[in-house]
Amino acid sequence: MTIFSLYIYDRHCNCVYYQDWHRTKRPRIAVEGGLLPAVSAAVTPRNTLSSASGVLIAVNDDAPRTPLPPARSQSPTPQHPQQLASAALTFDEEAKLVYGVVLSLRNLVKKLSGRDEQFVNYKTSTYKLHFYETPSGYKFVMLSDPSVDSLRFVLRQIYSGPFVEYVVRNPLAQMDSRERGIDNEYFRTSTDRMVRGLTVFE
Amino acid sequence: MAIWGLWVINKAGGLVYQRNFGADGLPHLTSNEYLVLAGTLHGIHAITSRLSPTGASSGAQTISGETFKLTILLTATGTKFVLLTSLAEPTADSVLQKVYEAYADAVMKNPFHTPEMPIRNEGFDARINALLGS
Repeated sequence: MTIFSLYIYDRHCNCVYYQDWHRTKRPRIAVEGGLLPAVSAAVTPRNTLSSASGVLIAVNDDAPRTPLPPARSQSPTPQHPQQLASAALTFDEEAKLVYGVVLSLRNLVKKLSGRDEQFVNYKTSTYKLHFYETPSGYKFVMLSDPSVDSLRFVLRQIYSGPFVEYVVRNPLAQMDSRERGIDNEYFRTSTDRMVRGLTVFE
Repeated sequence: MAIWGLWVINKAGGLVYQRNFGADGLPHLTSNEYLVLAGTLHGIHAITSRLSPTGASSGAQTISGETFKLTILLTATGTKFVLLTSLAEPTADSVLQKVYEAYADAVMKNPFHTPEMPIRNEGFDARINALLGS
């Protein structure tokens, strides 16, 4: 029983927030330009070292002020060797696939039910994907262990709690900008605390 | 506790068999719409196996809405059996296994059946009727 990751998308199909917990298969860092700034410090291209020369080739000043490991500008070794496995998708590709699946399933469920019924979750042998869409078109997606019951209420709680408090009511957060994600320290901390407090989180 | 529909999707994503059961439950769509939905499901199924946050994963096994769910059985040969049921239906998996048996007996052993083509077979229809009602 565990929680793997959380994705939030806005109504323009952009991934605006990402956070993960017990992922063993990590996505590779997003390619430059594939992801908005301020989505997640963990997967945003930043201080990218070309592994051959050790030369700094890109700096992202828009990064949130969450504590991060210092960039090791002297060392040419990659920081996350396990992320270089060629089988893993880059984060921007993964985020698009998740959005595509969720949107297709939402349309499939609507079509099959013949009314405005929402897609709730699907389950595979190793994970379960939970989905919640707000009336304003924000889509909350959470991946968990397959044995977990519906986590829709948790997604709703994240929306009505941290999201409303630290994103909607935050004058510095640009919603619907299509240019920035919604990541900020308060939202991240408060979401983290909420997810870690769940009984299914272990 | 109700079964509302059965689809058989071939390994290329084409819908080769589709039946509705029960008058209430899900609305009946046109056969074209079912073909499109089956194709979509085939694509989604392939993607879901790639999104696993841990190790290798199967494709989606159950997909739930608010009032119904789709239970998917993928066979070793790539044929998918999909059962549309109410959320509380506990027998979906065993029913799918029995449908697979009926398919193996009545369709695959039929010398006049062309593989991967739509199933038009009275014997299979009768087996499904016996299993799921008409």
